[in-house]
Amino acid sequence: MSIVDVFAGLWSSSGLSQLFTADGWKNLIMIIVALVFLFLAIHPKFRFEPLLLVPIAFGILLANMPSTGLMADPAGLMDEAQMVEGAHWYNDGVLRLIYAGVKSSIFPCLIFLGIGAMTDFGPLLANPISLLLGAAAQLGIYVAFMIAISIGKITGGAVSFTAGEAAAIGIIGGADGPTAILTASKLAPQLLAPIALAAYSYMALIPLIQPPIMKLLTTKKEREVEMKQLREVSKVEKIIFPVVVFIIVALLIPDAASLVGFLMLGNLFKECGVTERLSETAQNSLTNIVTIMLGTTVGATANGQDFIQVKTILIVILGLVAFSFSTAGGVILGKLLYLITGGKINPLIGSAGVSAVPMAARVSQVEGRKYNPKNFLLMHAMGPNVAGVIGSAVAAGFMLLMFNH
Amino acid sequence: MEINAIALAANVYTPDTVLGISEALKVSITGVCVVMFELALIACFILLMAKIFKLANKNKKEEVKKPVEAPKPAGTPLAEGNSAGKLDLIDVDEPTAAVIMAIVSDQSGIPLNRLNFKSIKKLEDK
Repeated sequence: MSIVDVFAGLWSSSGLSQLFTADGWKNLIMIIVALVFLFLAIHPKFRFEPLLLVPIAFGILLANMPSTGLMADPAGLMDEAQMVEGAHWYNDGVLRLIYAGVKSSIFPCLIFLGIGAMTDFGPLLANPISLLLGAAAQLGIYVAFMIAISIGKITGGAVSFTAGEAAAIGIIGGADGPTAILTASKLAPQLLAPIALAAYSYMALIPLIQPPIMKLLTTKKEREVEMKQLREVSKVEKIIFPVVVFIIVALLIPDAASLVGFLMLGNLFKECGVTERLSETAQNSLTNIVTIMLGTTVGATANGQDFIQVKTILIVILGLVAFSFSTAGGVILGKLLYLITGGKINPLIGSAGVSAVPMAARVSQVEGRKYNPKNFLLMHAMGPNVAGVIGSAVAAGFMLLMFNH
Repeated sequence: MEINAIALAANVYTPDTVLGISEALKVSITGVCVVMFELALIACFILLMAKIFKLANKNKKEEVKKPVEAPKPAGTPLAEGNSAGKLDLIDVDEPTAAVIMAIVSDQSGIPLNRLNFKSIKKLEDK
């Protein structure tokens, strides 16, 4: 064997050469996308959701390096139909093994535990009408679901989404990353990466997406409404609430029990006053650890070979439609409540019904102050905001109940 | 298919089902109703809980009601020369402290003579 043959062999087995083979360009594009995401997450001018975008972007980078096998599944452990007899789990790529936490719903549920431990349901308890706003702001889920189903008919089947795929895409409208990931991992695992990326990207862009819709749907007079101070909520109410909400939701929609259960368990840790250490861990260490693993492995599912397709572009568009209609749903119900209550409710708090906590509530506050500097809508908007978390989990549970068989 | 029978529907569809538009519409309408109903139910529970607690607190207050010295009406200024307590200023000058106290009073809607400041400390920039 000559030295030239050795170098030729080295070249042909290198990742670099594989980037320039038939479909290698797709990985190359994803590597560029990952670098752009890293830039957007780290550069001081942008800093778009860095805690999520950095692990996601690096996950994309890891998965698109040819021949590394980080997401390889030679044992076929992730798909019963492809399972290899006598195969060992440790033959799988390291990211593929961690991804089991997404596939099995462990990570989304643990993230919900952390969210529960960080959430104060006080504003919701003080103003229960917020729950209706949180429900109305799930409208985008169903609008996007309908449009996704219609695409197959419009294109004559050239591009179509199954019921499970359409449901998973619709959940982007809930503006809740873990819920979107859980639903996609159950109903459309092949679309997990674009759905998760769309959900988190739009959550980061809420301050840009929501204000024009809020302005379009409300009058100046409505935006100027000052809401009266919320009542004080007792500690006992805050302790009873998570327990009873879990019982109600789990009995009516059992498929939502995992998400709502962990959310409420985290909240009980926070409120009961005797589990401070657990609450502290759920809020910080646990959430941080899970975020690293969830973000990296979700990013790693964005392999160029599967990711670059027409469906991905459609998912990005449908995600935006879902977000916009969810915002509109909340604001429209807010307007209705403004009329019913004789002008006591500012419709701007309706947009916070999408569950991106606390970004959406912050947008309501900022927009409200633009039109009335004396307006403090933040705590009023936190009610629909946390109601949106429950609402999107219930909506996801409904979709799972309908299609997860 | 009877769309109001969710349990029945749940046995009909799989993730790979290709839905017709009318079926998708029925699923969507049912979904909206389910979310609305569930959250409205929770809202009713909160209202009920708030009523019970309000009633319980009212009864409690009546039980422990004792003749006590009438509180001073809100907004009554302190008598001249009287002090509302000691205020520690740490790395803050008096005019700044006065401005901070005025802002707190304005934003909270509580008159200055009903607020009791213990200390005002300048935090280091991080």
